[in-house]
Formats: sequence, C-alpha cells, structure tokens
Amino acid sequence: MGLYLPVGPQHPIHPEATLIKLKVEGEYVVDADIDASFVHRGIEKALERKTYVQGLFLAERICGICNAAHTTCYSINIEGLAGIEVPKRAQWLRLIVEELARVSSHLLWLGLLAHSIGFESLFMLAFRDREAVLDLMEGITGGRVTTGYNVIGGVRRDIDAATAHKIKSSLAQLKERVLKYKRLLEEDPIVRARTVGVGYLSTSEAKELLAVGPVARASGVSYDVRVDDPYLVHEEVPFNPVVYDTCDAWGRAMVRVDEILESIGMVTHALDNAPSGEIRARVPPVFKPPPGENVARVEAPRGELLHYVRSDGTEKPYRYKVRTPTLANLAAVIAMLRSQGGKVVHIADVPVIFGSIDPCICCTARVLVVDEKGSARETFLDDLSARGRAR
Amino acid sequence: MALVFDVLSNLLKKRATVLYPEERREEPGTFRGVLGFERNLCVGCGLCWRVCPASAIEASKDEKGARPLFRLEKCIYCYLCVEVCPRKAIKASSQRAPVVDDKSRLKVG
Amino acid sequence: MISKLAQVFVYPGILYMVALAFFLEWLDRKLVARLQNRVGPHYAGPYGLLQPLADFVKLLTKESIVPSGADGLLFTLCPVTAFIVVATAASFVPMTSTRGLLSTEGDAVAVLALITIYLLLVYTAGAASQSRYSLVGAVRAAHMLLGFELPLMLSCLGVIASAGSFKLSEIAAQGVWRVFGLHALGFAIFLVAAEAELDRLPFDIPEAEQEIVSGWLVEYSSWRLALLRLTKDMELLLLSGLATTLFLGGPAGPAPPSAENLLYPLYFLAKTAFVVFLLSLIRASSARIRLDQFVVLCWRYLVPASFAYLALAVWVV
Repeated sequence: MGLYLPVGPQHPIHPEATLIKLKVEGEYVVDADIDASFVHRGIEKALERKTYVQGLFLAERICGICNAAHTTCYSINIEGLAGIEVPKRAQWLRLIVEELARVSSHLLWLGLLAHSIGFESLFMLAFRDREAVLDLMEGITGGRVTTGYNVIGGVRRDIDAATAHKIKSSLAQLKERVLKYKRLLEEDPIVRARTVGVGYLSTSEAKELLAVGPVARASGVSYDVRVDDPYLVHEEVPFNPVVYDTCDAWGRAMVRVDEILESIGMVTHALDNAPSGEIRARVPPVFKPPPGENVARVEAPRGELLHYVRSDGTEKPYRYKVRTPTLANLAAVIAMLRSQGGKVVHIADVPVIFGSIDPCICCTARVLVVDEKGSARETFLDDLSARGRAR
Repeated sequence: MALVFDVLSNLLKKRATVLYPEERREEPGTFRGVLGFERNLCVGCGLCWRVCPASAIEASKDEKGARPLFRLEKCIYCYLCVEVCPRKAIKASSQRAPVVDDKSRLKVG
Repeated sequence: MISKLAQVFVYPGILYMVALAFFLEWLDRKLVARLQNRVGPHYAGPYGLLQPLADFVKLLTKESIVPSGADGLLFTLCPVTAFIVVATAASFVPMTSTRGLLSTEGDAVAVLALITIYLLLVYTAGAASQSRYSLVGAVRAAHMLLGFELPLMLSCLGVIASAGSFKLSEIAAQGVWRVFGLHALGFAIFLVAAEAELDRLPFDIPEAEQEIVSGWLVEYSSWRLALLRLTKDMELLLLSGLATTLFLGGPAGPAPPSAENLLYPLYFLAKTAFVVFLLSLIRASSARIRLDQFVVLCWRYLVPASFAYLALAVWVV
C-alpha cells in the first residue's frame, strides 16, 4: 500500500528533465527508482560523423556546466591517440581554467542545494558571487559558460599579467565569501537539521555501488583522479584531496565547499608559477590518427569522467564513448532514497538527497539496453528507430 | 539564522541586479562575438566551410568568385573559421549577436 | 444607509482592506528582495507598487481548469469561503480608529476561531483537488495545525490577560506598547507562530515548492487562484494587524482629536509595516524546516514557552 508520487519530469527541483518514481506512505519514502532518459540527444552518434577537431566543440556541449572537464578529457584523449605533444605552459593554463570551472560549478551547486532546502537567500547570494567567476572566465577565454578554450594541441588564448592580477584579486574576495558560507553550513541550525544524517551512504555501500567524486569522498572513500592518475601538471601544484566521513548530504556539501577553497589556492599557485613558452602545438584542422584506442580520465566537478575513443585510421572516429560521473552515482542515489532498516527517508528529503550528488542528467543520458535476465547489450540508432516505427 | 546580519547589511548596499537594457555591466572586451567578413581579402579557398563544426557556413559564389555565406543562427562562435582562414578575411569581434525577428538580417558580409 | 454600505465596502471596509493587503504584499516582496541584494518589483507602477494588483488581474485572464477527479462544488467553495472568513476576521481588527469595522464582546476569541476555520479550509481545498501533490500538502497543513495553534492562541491570551479585556477595541483604546520585558517573549512567540500560520519560510511546509510543487494549491488556476492569493495577503494583514493591536498599541498614538481620523490609519500602517519587516527578515534568513522537526520544535520549545508566558502575564497583572 503506498501512493505513487512522481517527482518529475517537470519539477521545480530538476535542472533537467528527470523522473524520480517514489512510493510514499504518509511522509515516508518506501521505494524509489530513477528514469534519466529524457535528455538523450544522440551525441555519441553525432561524434562519429565529425572530424576530430569539429568533435571537440560537440564534446564541449555535452554539458554546459562541465564543459571545461569534457574538453580537457577529449583533448587529452585525442592527443594520446595521435601522439601529439602539448607544451608545458598549455598544461598549466588548462589546469587554471579547469579549476576555475570547478569553482563555478560548485558555487552553482551550493545555490541549488540552498534552493532545495528552501533557503532562497543563500541561493541568490551564491549566484551573485558566482558572477565574479563567470566574468573571469569571459576575460580569459571569451565565453562565460561554454569556454572554447582547450583545443587539440593546447589552448587558444594566453593569460597576460593584467588578467592574472585581476584573477587573483577577484578570487581573494571570493574566498572571504566562501569562508562565510562554510561557517554558515557548519553553524546554521536549520541547514544542519535538513542535511545532517540525510541521504546516508555508508562507506561499504559507496565502494560497492561505485560512487565517484564528492559522493564517495564524503563517505570516506578517498578517490580523486587528480591524485590517483594525474593528467595535467597536478603533481607540481600542491593540493589536498578533501575527504569527510560523515556519509551524509552535509558531508557532501562540506566536501564541495572545501574543494572551492582548494581550487582557489591551486589557481593562485598556478598563476604565480606557470612557465612561459608556447601555448599551442600546431595541429592541422583535418588529420588522421593511427588506428587504435585510447582512454582518458579527468576529475570533473562531479567525479571521475571517462572518455574512450576508437580510431580506424580515417579522419572521423569509429566510436566515441562518454561515461559521466552522474551515471556512476545513479545507483548510489537510488540506494540513498529508499527507507530501509533504521534509516527513514521523508518526502522532504528527496530534493536534498537527489541534489547532493550534483546531478547532471544531460551528461548522463546514453543508450544502454538491459535485458531482463541481467545481461546488457548496446544497440544502434537505426535498430531502435525501426522498432519504434514497428510499435 | 546565522545569515541574519549578512542579510541585513545588504539593505545598505547597492543592488547587484543590472537593470538591462537601461544599464549595462562593464564588459572585458574579450567576448567571442559576431563574425565580420572582408570580401576583398577572401580568395575562396573553402577551408572555412570545410572546418565549421556546426555547418553554419555555406559555399557560394558571387561575381568575384567563390566565397562563404555565414548563417549566424547556426553559428556556435567557436572561431575555428577565424583561425583557419589563410588571409585573415574573417574578423573577430566582441559584439553580441543581434536579436532580430527577420532571419535575412542575420547574414554577415 | 448609503454611508453604512460605503463603510462596509469601501472605507474602512473591503476595498480598503484589499488595498492594504496588496500594499503589504508589495512591501514583503520588496523587503525580501532588498535583503537578498536584488531589486524586487520594479516595473509595474512607481517602485513596482502596482505589481500585486497586476498579478491579480493577470490571473483573472487565465483559463480556469477544474481537475476531472476533483469535487467540483468543494473546489470552488473553498477559495470563496476562505476569502469571506479571512475578510470577516480582518474586519474586527481596528485599522482606522480604536474600533474596528465590526466590534463585539469577545471578538479577540472570534478572530482566533476564524483563523482556525481558515486553516481547516486549507486542508479541504487540498483534499478537494484530488491530486497527489495536493493531498500531501493538505495532510501537511493539517499536521502543522497541531503544532503552532496552541502557541498562537496562548500568546494572544497572555496579552488579553494583561490588558484585562477580550474586546479588541478596548485593547486598542488602551494604546499600550507591550514589547518590552516579559511581553517580548510573547511577541517573539506570536511572530514565530504567525510565520507558521501564514505558510511562509521557514514554515512553508504545506506549499513547499521544491518538494510538492505548491502543495495544496497546485491545482488551482485563474480566478480561484487569484482569490486564494488575495486571501493569503489578507491573512498577512490580519495577523500583522493583530500583532499591532495586541503588542504595539494599535492605531493609537499622539494626535490632536481633530486629526485622529487622518493620523490613526497612518500609525496603524507604520506599525503594521514594522511587523511585516520583522516577518520578512525571518523569511529572508532561514531555510525550510522539515515537518517532523517543526512539530518537535513546537512541542518542545514553543508550547512550554507560551504556557510560561501566559502564567507570568496573569501573575504579574
């Protein structure tokens, strides 16, 4: 006995169309399931039809807020496949923009968390402070959200001394505001009441369900691609991966706020210590890499992002696959939404839990057909459309 | 509750909202904006319409020879064409795309 | 006869109360926006003063949809009855002189009873909509009733005991400010209970936009929704007017007898605006509390505090 309560696909809490199917009894959530297929755009198929350089701009638009992570991953992937050497300064500049994008993404998430617990004022203030970071992005790269900064072979624009100075002073002001928000998260009684103990994911569950990113790091699993598999000049920039062991939504919020502070430190250090030199290796607009495969991983703001490419020697890839961190966290969030054992989930907790994994559903929608008996197979677009017409 | 004093101090500060379009914020001038095109420099090599990711440039002809035709409504402002043009005939600018209700006004050059 | 009708419908009757309600909604929205470093209503009228009226008129032009499973008669009756109930309760509050539009022996209790009837109508409206979200919202509204009603009534009773009368016009005629010392506790309890009764942050649980998409009024549209929103604004007027009468001395203030008719409404407006400022400040600096935490808050802190206040008010007097 229970009421079926759909949260979505149109709902004020969802930035994209997602369906969370809840079964509720009174105020308690008994069962949950997620349908994240509403934003499928056929990106992997479209990437097979573009050359490698054109595909970069399509990969950038897989997600608006994670676009720096996607372009970094794509560029590293193709450079590894084709054996292109990237100059040192370009790697430092890539790190600066990637960490600035992380600050912007986490500030947006802070606003969304505040919105989901009804804290309208923190939502407005977080977005107001995020404007400073967006103005910095425009000054460096020419775009506020879709940056178009990374290209295969390096980056497009350099950062001169005047811009570097502006970045440092802007970030210093932002750091003061973020420290205030951190104190607010630690001390405000209503915020603590809504997030402490909510969305519990034990350490063993996090490891078993393969959670990534801040979701795993808030449950005590210390997994950060920048530490375990460094890809840019992360070994030369000092930073501490942030790990909490409270296993709840409050822990995830604290992990992200601390990561903002870490990223501000990293950007300031990189601006002072980046070597001078070339910023771009010359790559022809149409090139044919040797046949083979390559995999690249980066630490996107939401977790571990993975790109896979397979080339057959032509100028367009044979297959390109994107595995986003939200896809890995979906199993964890379904486990968090169910009331089981001594853990009770209220309807009021659902937006907080779902928001605490920082869902980016437009990144996530890929095609995967799961057989009822448990085996999985991938299918082709023509096959699916033929079946749809037959029905 | 901890935000009370912060929020009260906002009453004394100027608002953060910019009342567009009467006011505009200061722009750094580095924005990747609308393209410009100088016909005299173009030699019709065709690199730009081959490299555009969004298929926003069409190959066409006029009385001087082959030339590109830009469709601003499809352009994603990636500036690949600006980089690849050997004669620098395609110009960058920091102007935002115009808001029009007539598509014929969205052509460049 | 004509002057009686003009009193009931225009001043200080329905039209005056509606205008005041719209003004208080504008004040609330503008204050919350300023506290959040934004602008608030700006374009409709000077400083956006006509924005609530514009919203009301806009809602009237929309299509009126009645869900097929809803109980048609109840669905329409609830907003209309709610407006009538709240307007009647607001008529007891003295706004333009020390005597309200309606006045009778024991009308403070009548006002409190009418507030409870309004809350039952909220529950009925949500149940009559027969939608999943509205059912959850209606149940939440009924659940909240268990929490804040007692502190609301007890804090009013404390003032009534200290003033020595159940009649609002007599309390207003005394013109005593009751915000210092012992009565500060009563004022604080009343403000918190009023935020809960008005369904405002941090207690807007029955209408939580992020969880149940407007809760009990999700299925209402067009003129019914316009009437419901107007009822909420009148409630804001009612509760802040009640706070002004009980705790801030009502419309009375220093005035020569000839200018009383002009100055008393202005005093009332200023004091009510101050109460709305306090309510908006609470709203702009808090997150939303969860339902079970709200009930715990009420029964562990508010109810004992209000009993203590009532006991002390009676004993001190």
